[in-house]
Amino acid sequence: MDFTEQVRKRASQLIEEGTVACVIGWSAGRLKYQRTPTCADTPEQASNLVCDQHCEHALGKYVLEQKDKGRVGLVARGCESRAINRLIADRQINREDVYLIGIPCTGCTTRDGVELKRCHECQFRNPVIYDELLGEPAPEPKNDRFADVRKLEAMSREERRAFFDLMYETCIRCHACRQACPCCTCKVCFAEQEREGWQGKQFDVEQARYYGVTRSFHVADRCIECGECERVCPMGLPLMTLMHKQIKDIDELFGPYEGGGLSDEGPDALRTFKTDDIEEFM
Amino acid sequence: MSRIGVFVCHCGTNIAATVDVQAVADAARLMPNVAYATTNKYTCSDPGQQAIADAIKEHELDRIVIASCSPRMHEQTFRKMLAEKTSINPYLLEIANIREQCSWVHKDKAVSTPKAIDLVAMAVAKVDTDKNLYTSTIPVNRKVLVVGAGIAGIQAAIDVADAGFPVTLVERNPSIGGKMVKLDKTFPTMDCSACICTPKMSEAGNHPNITIKTLSEVEKVTGYIGNFEATIRERAKYIDYDLCTGCGACETKCPSKTTNEFDEGLSLRKAIYKPFAQAVPSKPTIDAKTCRKLTEGKCGVCAKICPTGAIRYDDTDRTTTETFGAIILATGYDLIDWTKIYGEYGGGRYPDIVTGLQFERLVNASGPTEGHIQRPSDHAEPKTLAIIKCVGSRDPHKGVSYCSRACCMYSAKHAHQYLDKVKDGRCFVFYMDVRCAGKGYDEFYMNTLHDGAVYVRGRVSKIYPENGKLVCMGEDTLSGQVVRVDADMVVLETAMVPNEGASQIAGVLNAQRGPEGFFTEAHPKLRPVKTNTAGVYLAGVAQGPKDIPDTVAQAGAAASKVIGLLARGQIESNPMIVQVDNAKCSGCGACTDICPYGAIELTEVSLRENSRKVTRTVAKPNPGLCQGCGACTVACRSGAADLLGFTNEGIMREMEALLR
Repeated sequence: MDFTEQVRKRASQLIEEGTVACVIGWSAGRLKYQRTPTCADTPEQASNLVCDQHCEHALGKYVLEQKDKGRVGLVARGCESRAINRLIADRQINREDVYLIGIPCTGCTTRDGVELKRCHECQFRNPVIYDELLGEPAPEPKNDRFADVRKLEAMSREERRAFFDLMYETCIRCHACRQACPCCTCKVCFAEQEREGWQGKQFDVEQARYYGVTRSFHVADRCIECGECERVCPMGLPLMTLMHKQIKDIDELFGPYEGGGLSDEGPDALRTFKTDDIEEFM
Repeated sequence: MSRIGVFVCHCGTNIAATVDVQAVADAARLMPNVAYATTNKYTCSDPGQQAIADAIKEHELDRIVIASCSPRMHEQTFRKMLAEKTSINPYLLEIANIREQCSWVHKDKAVSTPKAIDLVAMAVAKVDTDKNLYTSTIPVNRKVLVVGAGIAGIQAAIDVADAGFPVTLVERNPSIGGKMVKLDKTFPTMDCSACICTPKMSEAGNHPNITIKTLSEVEKVTGYIGNFEATIRERAKYIDYDLCTGCGACETKCPSKTTNEFDEGLSLRKAIYKPFAQAVPSKPTIDAKTCRKLTEGKCGVCAKICPTGAIRYDDTDRTTTETFGAIILATGYDLIDWTKIYGEYGGGRYPDIVTGLQFERLVNASGPTEGHIQRPSDHAEPKTLAIIKCVGSRDPHKGVSYCSRACCMYSAKHAHQYLDKVKDGRCFVFYMDVRCAGKGYDEFYMNTLHDGAVYVRGRVSKIYPENGKLVCMGEDTLSGQVVRVDADMVVLETAMVPNEGASQIAGVLNAQRGPEGFFTEAHPKLRPVKTNTAGVYLAGVAQGPKDIPDTVAQAGAAASKVIGLLARGQIESNPMIVQVDNAKCSGCGACTDICPYGAIELTEVSLRENSRKVTRTVAKPNPGLCQGCGACTVACRSGAADLLGFTNEGIMREMEALLR
């Protein structure tokens, strides 16, 4: 996958003709397989953009930082487009605030050319919304994404407990998962609202569990499966397992449901009440 | 620092027999900020309340915890006491429920006492966070919506209308009257059902304060007690009721026929029809599914024959929106569909097995057989009748677990009617129990026995046809013998289940229903006609199976509650409503989506953020609409929405106290 030339050309044009105030994309990093998110404000800056299989950062959330400039151009793959839908549904931006340069993505790879786990599991590689698409739509392999969930479901209660204990013992509560998540748009996160005994600064598995479980439920029915949380986690925690479990559950209980961000229309599963919802638990 | 008083109630022996109340008071004394703790025999009594008021003065308490029964029981009592007898704000009160949630569910003092202490500790932690709250008054719209126009809805509507308040009576069927008007006679007095029901119907129809909307359904209800806004869909009737005189010429000439629902499928009716002679409104409607003009575009005979030109093939559904102060739910019942669950009774394959309601039509002078008991298959008079009770009732494996209450009496009535009309007939009644509690009921049952009805205690395991008879195989559990009855006709007294429309109206009103689907009353004994949705009342079988006398009594009770509300003209608002912290609100609108009352809207505000002025969208609750359900506070991820009286902080403090 290499759309570098097309992206540079279109980004420069869009800025030049005034369609957008800036274009968010990637530029080259220090190493040859490294890319860094960039906001190009001028055609010259746009000519430095890069778009290839090493562009592993999902860009959607950067729109929030740049939207004061005017209409924001965004290089959008499947994950970015779903993030935009999410932000619209959460009433953080309007559709006309962004111009989406669609990329038919074929997945990112590591420096060794191995496909990233989240790209392998990706169900919507082509942008679900865009203003223009560079090239023909890419094939959607729709690989299985619930293998980890089935492993989790097969565990005994004790094994599952051990799995989550290990996860939350390892968590250092740096909140990187939250910073990267396009669903996390609260003005003040619950994690920052200090409640004595619940969220102190000490290193404590219960407090990490409180953070982790609460966060996962806050995004449960909105998760767009971009996998940014897992990518940015410095401890390498399998955060998407819990998210996938919730998506699978929502599909089975209230479905069909393929995941968040596929449209910009709310409300989401866990804040919708329908008279024909299952009521087994009541 | 607050000074908390803790008052632990014995509730006679209700609590004290299972919880060591003295130990609870002693433990409470050691809890943070508790200045005083004591026990009382009956806290809710006048002396009990006075003791609290005195203690507040003597010990300079500024908030109190009462450990007693459920807050649903006496929270209002104690709030009133605080308001009238003390200087403490009535909302600086927490109830620790150590009766329903503790003493009543445990047997062992060693278990229940520490649990009661935990519950008190939670309440003490929460009361510390409580703030003064103040009520205001909101006006009540003096109009009433009654949903369902069986005898319950009709009676409630007449009672409210007689008090001078306008009522809109909404009915799904083409006529009001419900099930009662289908019945032949009513137990135990054997007066004609239609003769006592139809005068009520016409009284409702002619009442200046009652507007009847037939073929109508309540589609949507928003708002709250005193100010409900209901959207009512009136389905197309295809007849201009202003022109129609109800002459009936159209019905005689109509060529298409279909099953007659009023006769429970035992006869045919026309596509343009009036369900029965005394229908209110006394005008026909067109059944669009059967009408040739509406299905095939040909025919139009009724339009040609109608002397006033009242036929409107292009009629459409109409929706209207009106405001009401109160709603009475009288949605009634259906009979359980036994054909799906009783394969051993043929599952509906044998025409001579009928339901109780079908039997009512067969024995009714206005029914398809003009009151001659004839079996459906060959119109022969059945010489042997088997009546089977509890078909679906008291049968959790196949049907419902509850008793349908009226069947014991109406099966005795059916037996009596049969033996009265078929002089040489024999009647067998298969029963599990005979429950005839009611004025004159047991006497009626005894009379039926004297008439010659043979009661067999046991259920029928199988019915199959043999030589033109229906063989009922059962057991007489009193003698332990197998019983075989070769019946000419079988009547199944099937279970009452909530009307199919109940779930729809429950959805639009957020009204609670029990596991069996009947609407839940606010309190089974003390608030039997109110629901937990303020301003919504219950009448008749919608609340649970009952017979006509109970239904009428309950309809009157519901009406009196509604009249009381409307006569006051205003209600005190609930101060325990949601508050939004603009600084925390990101304007995501999760709360607006989830709010069942439409009480939150998004609005633009200017505020300071990071030392600069910004304009952004935040959620703004409407205190008039908010009912304090708290759904938004759960949906709000950042905790910007907080419920006064049930703050996030208060709940977290409760949790801490519990986990300490």
